[in-house]
Amino acid sequence: MSCQDFQRQIVLDLYGELNEGEKVGLETHLYQCEGCRQAVKEQSEFSSTLASEASAFDFPSDLLVESRRALADQLDQIERKRPWWRIPTFSVVFTPMRMLESAALIAMGLAFGVYISNQQTVPAPAGANAIAETLPQNGLVSNVRIVSADSSTATVEFTGDIVQPLRFTGRIEDDTTRRLLFSAVQDSMNPGSRMQAVEVLARESSEPSVKEVLIHAFLNDDSLGVRLKAFEGLKPFAGDEQVRNAFMQALMSDPNDGVRVAVVDALAPFTKNEAAASSIAEATKYDDNTYVRLKGQGLIHTVGAQK
Amino acid sequence: MEAVLRRAEQAGYDTDEEKLLIEQAQSGNREAFEELVRKHDRDILRLAFHMLGNREEAREVFQETFLKAYRSLNRFRFESSFYTWIYRIATNVSLDHLRKRQTLKEEISYESDTESNPDRPALKDTLAATTYYSNPERRLYGREVGERIQEALKTLSEKERLVFELRHYQGLRLRMIGEIMGSTEETAKNYLFRATQKLRAQLGKV
Repeated sequence: MSCQDFQRQIVLDLYGELNEGEKVGLETHLYQCEGCRQAVKEQSEFSSTLASEASAFDFPSDLLVESRRALADQLDQIERKRPWWRIPTFSVVFTPMRMLESAALIAMGLAFGVYISNQQTVPAPAGANAIAETLPQNGLVSNVRIVSADSSTATVEFTGDIVQPLRFTGRIEDDTTRRLLFSAVQDSMNPGSRMQAVEVLARESSEPSVKEVLIHAFLNDDSLGVRLKAFEGLKPFAGDEQVRNAFMQALMSDPNDGVRVAVVDALAPFTKNEAAASSIAEATKYDDNTYVRLKGQGLIHTVGAQK
Repeated sequence: MEAVLRRAEQAGYDTDEEKLLIEQAQSGNREAFEELVRKHDRDILRLAFHMLGNREEAREVFQETFLKAYRSLNRFRFESSFYTWIYRIATNVSLDHLRKRQTLKEEISYESDTESNPDRPALKDTLAATTYYSNPERRLYGREVGERIQEALKTLSEKERLVFELRHYQGLRLRMIGEIMGSTEETAKNYLFRATQKLRAQLGKV
């Protein structure tokens, strides 16, 4: 096979679509071909850029709600137009026992209705008005849960989160701004916001609290785009022990090839001794990505040669 | 994104719970059908939005896909996974929309015929109003790289675009993509490689 043929294998390998035999063939070639090793690296970076860009703009959040609603309307229409003989069937067998059961259910329903209507309305608990005032006029109450419902007093107890519209301008180094940015980094519903917040925070990554948030996002965020932005902020501190530990963890566990390629490259200049080189070699020994594996193993030789 | 990929990895198999839902939906249980919709609608909407690039058409594809599924659910015989089946419908509907759009482009001149149809907006204006980056959310995150990627994606053939979308963004395995396309894994591999090469040639170093 020529280098030209291996280009196809490199792309398929990055997508995890090569079988074991093909992988071994590719690896053998990569050991001896600097050009193809470079191609692996470039292709990994290219794939990561494409993926991170996509994760930053998922479909608008309201589109799903809108689409679901429109579909439900369409289904309603279909069901209304459906002739009666095609309406889903259910069993209506009038056995004496079934009729007795039905009568009992109707009687119980009536009795319950009379009981409820005879109950005096219980005054709203003190403080209800105060809560009502805090309910946002144009905001949302989310995560509403019914804690308890007591039919004898006709009261319901709720818990929930009040979400109000907010507009705020502040300097990045201000405490409030930071807290808002930290909240945005944790907004699990909105990868776009998380990415923007991480991008802004990355400019202040020398701050310990910011560094901690970036490390958390880098190691835990589902969105590749967010992880890569966090990585950019942390990269200048690859020599710092806390960041280095995070990078080592990502090297062993991040599912994205591009991230691991970037991490192994970022760690290389700060790997000055054999112990550090060995730990990277160990972490990359079984990596699926050929570039990461070769680069990781190669660091031992680089450090050895520098001695 | 990784969550999408993880979900896609598990998607080739119907669980017992899903089988039960399908059977209930087949016997006319609307709630069971809606439960099935909920399990897959994010993936389908994501595919439609990426393929068509605007919310109106994405919503149409979403609706058409699930309505077709609803109408032909009785013909689903568990020969493939439900996920593959619904994706097959969605990809066909998406491709139909892309083809319709292409036909429209050919039929209507790019500039408006202002003399005979003064009220009709120019197609270029219509397209500009509905493309991916006219959406404020897109504009916000897309920036230059995003726009270049979208332009590059337009240079791919329908099938290349579809395979790239399903593998790269939706995380489906090429074997499943082959099934969805009614083709083979090897063909899907070729489309993926060609798509990647074309994109790199278009984008250079992004």
